[in-house]
This record gives sequence, structure tokens and C-alpha cells, in this order.
Amino acid sequence: MHPILANARQLGMYLLAYLPIGIVLVIGLGHRDAWGTAAAFFLPLTMLYAFIGLSAYYLCLAFPISSDQPVWRAVPAHMSAAACVGALCVGAAWLWAAVLESLNIGLQPQVFIEQPWLLFVVGAVLFWLAIALHYVLIASSASQRSEQRALESGLLAREAELKALRAQIDPHFLFNSLNSISALTGSDPPSARKMCLLLADFLRDTLRLGATQRISLREELSVVQRYLAIEQVRLGARLKVDCAASEPAGGGYLPALLLQPLVENAVLHGIAHLIDGGTVTIGAERQGAALLIRVSNPSDPARPRRPRAGLGLLLVRQRLQSEYGAAGQLHTREEQGEFVAEVSLPFTEKEEAADE
Amino acid sequence: MNEITQLKAIIVDDEAHARALIREYLMQHSDIQVVAECANGFEAVKAASELKPDLLFLDIQMPKLDGFEVLDLIGRDAASVIFTTAYDEYALRAFDVHAVDYLLKPFGAERFDEALELARVRIRKRDALPIRELLDTHREGAAIDRVLIRNRSNVHVIPVEQIDYVEAQDDYVSIRAAGRSYLKEQTLGELEAQLAGKGFLRIHRRYVLNVSRLAKIELSEKDSRIAILNDKTELPISRSGYTKLRGLL
Repeated sequence: MHPILANARQLGMYLLAYLPIGIVLVIGLGHRDAWGTAAAFFLPLTMLYAFIGLSAYYLCLAFPISSDQPVWRAVPAHMSAAACVGALCVGAAWLWAAVLESLNIGLQPQVFIEQPWLLFVVGAVLFWLAIALHYVLIASSASQRSEQRALESGLLAREAELKALRAQIDPHFLFNSLNSISALTGSDPPSARKMCLLLADFLRDTLRLGATQRISLREELSVVQRYLAIEQVRLGARLKVDCAASEPAGGGYLPALLLQPLVENAVLHGIAHLIDGGTVTIGAERQGAALLIRVSNPSDPARPRRPRAGLGLLLVRQRLQSEYGAAGQLHTREEQGEFVAEVSLPFTEKEEAADE
Repeated sequence: MNEITQLKAIIVDDEAHARALIREYLMQHSDIQVVAECANGFEAVKAASELKPDLLFLDIQMPKLDGFEVLDLIGRDAASVIFTTAYDEYALRAFDVHAVDYLLKPFGAERFDEALELARVRIRKRDALPIRELLDTHREGAAIDRVLIRNRSNVHVIPVEQIDYVEAQDDYVSIRAAGRSYLKEQTLGELEAQLAGKGFLRIHRRYVLNVSRLAKIELSEKDSRIAILNDKTELPISRSGYTKLRGLL
């Protein structure tokens, strides 16, 4: 539908804009002793013309201006349309004059249709103006739409980022860490400060590394070690870490924060359930075309199960699947008090985007 | 009562810092005496049953037993409980449903004092926690995967797949698992509901059987039937129990 017709307020303003044109015609062409006749003749015709002018919109849509469709290509169409509108004006004026005369109320508008060529030119020229205005209208609403789209897509991207962040950072971890800081503030201020800084570094890493980015295993392990350092403040001597990646493996690339949920699981569902704690072991090696990473931890098979346990593993699996298809795999097993998660993915030595 | 009543408190949290913080906040309250600190669920049950505290500060996520399981086992051994947790949607929903107060970590001294005052009032009014309702809401009808049994101050954890059968004995159930019997204060109907979907069947008014332990069914005299288990134990089968069993096999 025509955008002006779709909105009653806009339509009102559009029609109001035609009123001065009608008044100019009344004053310019009317006679001093017959203003009434001129007004009765020109004002309704101007309003009718306003509606005819709206049809320029469809003409503009049919001949859009763009880089591969220059405006001169539309000129013949616009000229013939203007000629038709001019002729229409003459016809409408002739008809309206006949109607007014037949009413027998003393109006004599015949004088205005004595110069049909003038009516024709006025109608045609005004139509060109309407066409020009409609091109402006279409262009401005298109730019508004694209601006809105850009804004919306920006918001969506931001939301996706925040969702990914929420999935990465376990609220339980965050609030427990804050509680440790709160406790240390009274008893051991230097440790409280140290923990604040560790937490800040870790959060910065997580914010910086978008969900689509790939980083080297070396970088990923440094993020993971920051996380583990925080958990070591919280869990004390219960948490020990053994992290070693062979040299070629450390240079391999993987989706950022892929290992983070695995290490978090090792702490949350493994070490945190053991009274005496244990060691989280992280190892990585390159095997031919594949990068193999292994995270293991002692576990209590009789631990109380937490609701939604296993969500982290599911997310890692989905991510591997979407980035590498069948070449990205996560295998987990739990036996004899040990939980092992093994990731294998294609070894790549530089940052390669997955889908480009 | 004009004199200040001393209240015995136990702090249960697996993190030393978190316990220290509660101790620090409690220094402002001379009427509270900390009689024990526990770092896991087993210690908490043992301390609560031996010391019968007035007040228990109870963390939800801990080794061995979580806070809800501790509550289940100690029952009314602690007069009042203040739960502490960093984040646990399921626990918080259960608390909210039953209007149970809790402390969200990290909490400040003001909020702590407020929770403590509420607890004092509950203790004075002997206003007990709605333990069963709280546990049911938290479990949300999900089947359990282990049965917890308290024997004075010791806790036995029995994975449900180790249970052969359960027998009703007045207000108790006798759970037969791995060659031993354990008594638990619970009705058979309640335990049967908790074991739903875990391969158990009520074969008799007084028996719930782990169906995988069934060796054969024999007809005894007077058209009544007996279940013979893998270890040769014989259990009676009621008529409706037999219908259900036949439908399953």
C-alpha cells in the first residue's frame, strides 16, 4: 500500500500541502467579483489532483533509480504519464465545470476551461514534481529501513555474544569467587586483591574472545590456567593442576574457549566433590593431521548429581560439530574414579575462519 | 526471658574462606557459639546428630552429600537452618516456594544479621522448617539414584542399582542391598514413588522388588505365587503384583 495512504495523519498533512496550490490558482485565475466561483471550481479539483499525484509512487516503484538503472531511462515513461495526467486534468475540469453550471446556483466556471492547454501544462508539471517528491520519499524510507536493520542486527549480535558469555561463565563460579574475595577482604587483604586481579583478567579474556574466533592452544591454555588459579584460591590445597602441551600442539588453533567448559567440569563435578581434592591434568599432542587434547580428573562416582550436569559437554560437542563436522570429536569416559574428556580436531597452524 | 540464651551453631561449607567469613560476621553476636565447622556432608550429619545444634549454616553444593541431602538425613536434629548458596536456580525456587530464608553469596553483614534475627525468632517460636515439602519441591518428582541411610552419626549411601528389594516394616523400610539390610524411617509408598522408572515394582503390599533380581516365579499351594530371586530369596507376590509383573515381562 502507498505509505501516505497507510497513515491517516500523513494523508491529512499531504492534502493540506495541496491547499496553497489551490489558493494560488484561485487568486491567479479568479476574477475580483467572482472569488466564489473560482474557489468552488479550483479547490475540489486540487484535492482530486492530490490523489492523482499519489499514483506517482507506483511509477517510481516501477522505475527505481539505482546505479544500474539511471534516471534518464525512466524519462519517456514519466513524460507520457505526465501527459496523461494533464489530459485527465482537462477532462476533469470540463466535467466539473458542467456539474457546477447545471446546479444553477449562479456559478459560471466556463471561463476557466476556455484555456485547456494551460490546465494541461499545470497538471503535467505538477505531476513531474510529484514524481520527484516520491523518489525522495522512497529513498529516505529505504535508508531509514536499512538503518533500523543495521541497528537490529547489531543488537542481535550483541545479544548472541552475551548469551555465549553467560554460557561460558558459570554464575556459580562467579558468585563463589566474589564470596571468596569478600571473605579475604577481612582476613587477608593482599590475597583479596590478587583474586580480584585474577578474576578481572579472566573476565577480560572471556569478553575479548568472541565465540567465533580461533586462537592457538597456547593462548587457550593460558586462559584456562587463569581460571584454575582463581579456583585454587577458592578450593585451597584441594585443587592441584598439571598442564603440559607438547610444542607442536601448542601452536595448533582451536575455537576460543573450547577447553574452558571441560576444565570447569573437571573442577566442579570432579575436584569439588572430593574431600581431599586432586589434580586436574591437561595434556595435548599433535598426531599427524589431528590435534588431541585430554583433560582428566579424579572423581567420586557416588557424588550427589547436580541438575543440568552435562550441559557443558553438550555445548562443546555442538561447537566441535558445527566447526569441524565429523572431524571434531569429544569422547568422555568415567571409570575407576577417574573422569577423562578427550577432544580431537584437525590440526591447523593459523587462524582460519570456519565458513569463509 | 531476660538472660541471653546461648545458641549452638554449626557452619557447613566446603570452602574455608566461606566458613571464615561466617565466623567473622558471628563475632558481633555474643549469643551464638560456633560448636563445629564441617567441610562436607558426612561431617555435617555426624556433627548435627552428636551436637544437636540450634542453628546450622548450610551450603548447598558440597562433597559427598549436598545441602538438601544433609537436611533429609538430620531431620529435626538442627532446630533452625540458614542456607547459603552462590547460585542454584533449583534450590532457590524451592526456598521461595516454601518461604524459606537463605543467604546468597556474597552477602554482607547487614543481610547476615537479618537472616540471623529471623532464625532466632524461629528458634524461639519452635517454628520448624517444612523439610519434606522443601525436599519434594527441590526433587521435582525426579527419581533418586541413591538412597541415603543414617545409622546414628554414620551415613550409608546406597546406589539404587545395588538394591535387591525393599520390605515395609511398620514406620520403616528395610532395604536389602549387597548382602546387608538397612533400616530407614520412610514409608514404602514414598520410597516406591522415588524409585519410579528405575526398574522397581511393587509385587506385594509389603515388598518392592528390583525386577532385574528376579530369577523365576513359582506357584505355591492355593494359587498364590512366590518370586525367587537370583540369591534364592523367596518373596510373596500378590494377585495385583502378579498382573503388573506379567505385564512387564
